[in-house]
Amino acid sequence: MLLQLKGVQKKFGGVVALRSGDLEVNAGEVHLLMGENGAGKSTLMKIVAGMQGRDGGEMLWLGRSVNFQNPAEAASQGIAMVHQESLLAPHLSVAENIFLGREPRLPLGWVNRREIVARAARIIEEHHFPLKAEWRVEKLSPAGKQMVEICRAIQQGSSLLIFDEPTSSLSEAETQEVFRIVRALRDRNVGVIYITHRLEELRAIGDRVTVLRDGETVHTGPLAELSTDQIIRHMVGREVTAIYTRDALPPGDEMLRVDHLTCQPLLKDISFCLRAGEIVGMAGLIGAGRTELCRALFGLDALDGGEIRISGQPVRIRSPRDAVKAGMALIPEDRQRTGLATALPISYNFTMASLERVSNFGFIDHGAEKKIAADYTARLRIRAESGKQLAGRLSGGNQQKVAIAKWLVGGARIFLFDEPTRGIDVGAKVEVFQMMDELARSGAAILMVSSEMSELLQVADRILVMRQGRISGELPGRTTPDQIMRYAAFEVSAATTGDQAE
Amino acid sequence: MIQRLLPFFTLIALFVILSIASPNFLTSTNLSSVVRQTAVINIMALGMTVIIISGGIDLSVGSILALAGLLGTMTMEKHGIPLGMVVGLIAGMLCGFANGAMTTSLRINPFIVTLGTMGIYRGMALIISKGLPVHEIPPSFSYLGEGNLLGVPFVLWILLACAAVIHVKLEHTRMGRYAFSIGSNPDAAHYAGVPVRFHIIGVYSIAGLLTGLAGMIEASRLMTGQPTGGQGYELTAIAAVVIGGGSLRGGEGSVLGTLVGAFIMGLLANGSDLLGTNPYWQQVIIGGVIILAVSFDELRKRRMTS
Repeated sequence: MLLQLKGVQKKFGGVVALRSGDLEVNAGEVHLLMGENGAGKSTLMKIVAGMQGRDGGEMLWLGRSVNFQNPAEAASQGIAMVHQESLLAPHLSVAENIFLGREPRLPLGWVNRREIVARAARIIEEHHFPLKAEWRVEKLSPAGKQMVEICRAIQQGSSLLIFDEPTSSLSEAETQEVFRIVRALRDRNVGVIYITHRLEELRAIGDRVTVLRDGETVHTGPLAELSTDQIIRHMVGREVTAIYTRDALPPGDEMLRVDHLTCQPLLKDISFCLRAGEIVGMAGLIGAGRTELCRALFGLDALDGGEIRISGQPVRIRSPRDAVKAGMALIPEDRQRTGLATALPISYNFTMASLERVSNFGFIDHGAEKKIAADYTARLRIRAESGKQLAGRLSGGNQQKVAIAKWLVGGARIFLFDEPTRGIDVGAKVEVFQMMDELARSGAAILMVSSEMSELLQVADRILVMRQGRISGELPGRTTPDQIMRYAAFEVSAATTGDQAE
Repeated sequence: MIQRLLPFFTLIALFVILSIASPNFLTSTNLSSVVRQTAVINIMALGMTVIIISGGIDLSVGSILALAGLLGTMTMEKHGIPLGMVVGLIAGMLCGFANGAMTTSLRINPFIVTLGTMGIYRGMALIISKGLPVHEIPPSFSYLGEGNLLGVPFVLWILLACAAVIHVKLEHTRMGRYAFSIGSNPDAAHYAGVPVRFHIIGVYSIAGLLTGLAGMIEASRLMTGQPTGGQGYELTAIAAVVIGGGSLRGGEGSVLGTLVGAFIMGLLANGSDLLGTNPYWQQVIIGGVIILAVSFDELRKRRMTS
């Protein structure tokens, strides 16, 4: 046995990322690590690769207890990670990247370029990679970059390789290429851990599977013994703890209609509608295109095709300004980066999208602005000393309320909430849901993107599921997590229990 | 709060120290000359304040100053003072407009754009003038830079008027608020529907206009249109903004702060002249003050966020 993890724990501030992570990996096996968004897969692997420390539990490497302080230490022991986003130096050559930090030297500290290139070429040839040692890394495709990372790991003599969703950005042919490499590594008695939530393609290469849910290992065993249904059940669990329930309203007039929207490279032929008084959930895995859809609707990315109608009227939305004028609001997923000006007072943030409302002939009416700040701070129970407080000094939940209030001040009618509860505590979550409910009751239409299935089930009237840039299904609000996961992760026609080994 | 007022106290302290140390300091002749010397930098620095608040930078203002002054005085030779003034101001504004338009449409960092236009505008001034200064200026033009109104230098009134207008713009109008929003977080401003490009171009145009005015004042003080004038002024203007609490990361800065910053540098220069300090040391002292002022300000901000 190569690696053994027992009850590994990790906290980030007050948030528990890993409660009890167990994992055993043998030499010469491909071990799949599965779980929902936020189940703790990446955190567990970062601990193994020495990128993060652990707060508790045991880690045995080749039978010895280890505690890696940094990735270099893990690498020296033979553990290497192939990253989702490439961590290569784009301006250097393939060979230079493979040997980065471990260059063979000549006397006087000169780098032995000829040897680097020769040894890199040997590794590439040995594994039949479609690469050349002299190529510049920036010119490579995502798959090519991953191959360079794999070469790097092989060059270090790694006996355990971790792939973090390697195929999420790859084409079909490139995916097959990566599989071929993974199989070749297994045949050379290397252990491979493969993080994924796309099971369909993995029947082909997986030997055993470990499923994480809410930071806990809930199942581990041979892949052949598990049906797809069973894996889904392990991933989503049975119990959905309700923190909030909402009574749906009879939906009103159509507010937003999207027909055949296409936006390269991801979004393809998307059609749906939002009605007044409705909260429509949007589920899907990370990378399914949900954020991209919000961006496209809000005029942040140019459309390649399709039509958007607001209250029945076709509209052209070329910029966020057009979207705001059309009565739309986007509460972005990344508050700090795109939702708020954290270094400015909250009163400035409240009025940022509707400064016209508090100004006459271009001059700001500070009294009116102050009143708005006081009103909304009280109405939304924002914990702030005054409107002058800097937005960045509020807690996550209160920041989110300010980001939402910005649109309430302007009187928007169509709301796109992208992960509205990310990084906020349970109390604030309920308050955010209440705000959404109130908006819906006042006749607004709401699209709510969320990776938290339990929240969608509690709040949404119906749920759209996205998968690889398309809407793969529409479900009633009272559906089950299994159903959502089925549409989010699998080709629905193939989502039966069939074993799809090659 | 006390630390925020540090530049202000520094200015007062400097004033008191110089009054005691030199009998020539607190005379109307000397104080007038300080005002006249700093007015040009001050007016440029007001424009720079708006740019820096919006998260930008303009290295070309020294060249704009020369080009605007040159075109203004050349026009004056043939068509009189009023038209000359108009041409100078508009030339400055167009230069600023071009800076803003290039930054937003080519999506190049303003540091690079204005590094380029710094050379372009300077070169244009030299080409147009064939490298020779303009001397044939109507004598009454000297009133702008050297005249007095109600017992104080005329330029002080101009400076106060500009400062008041820019202060009101920044603190009380939508344009000013958008400058802060864009400088603090351009993405959030864009997401909120703020017409970011339009306002960035506006900011650079206003700064260009003020620089054009500064260029005319400089020309009036020297009674020449100098194609080689204003070299290095951009850095002094940036220093004034930064000493006054402006942040090169954007979203911070004020008119009052900038005025204080410019006068601190003015007094340091004047004081070293009066006290007979080696002029080479002046540069060392001013450089040290810039670093000190900014490090104090950083310390204050870090304490505020923690």
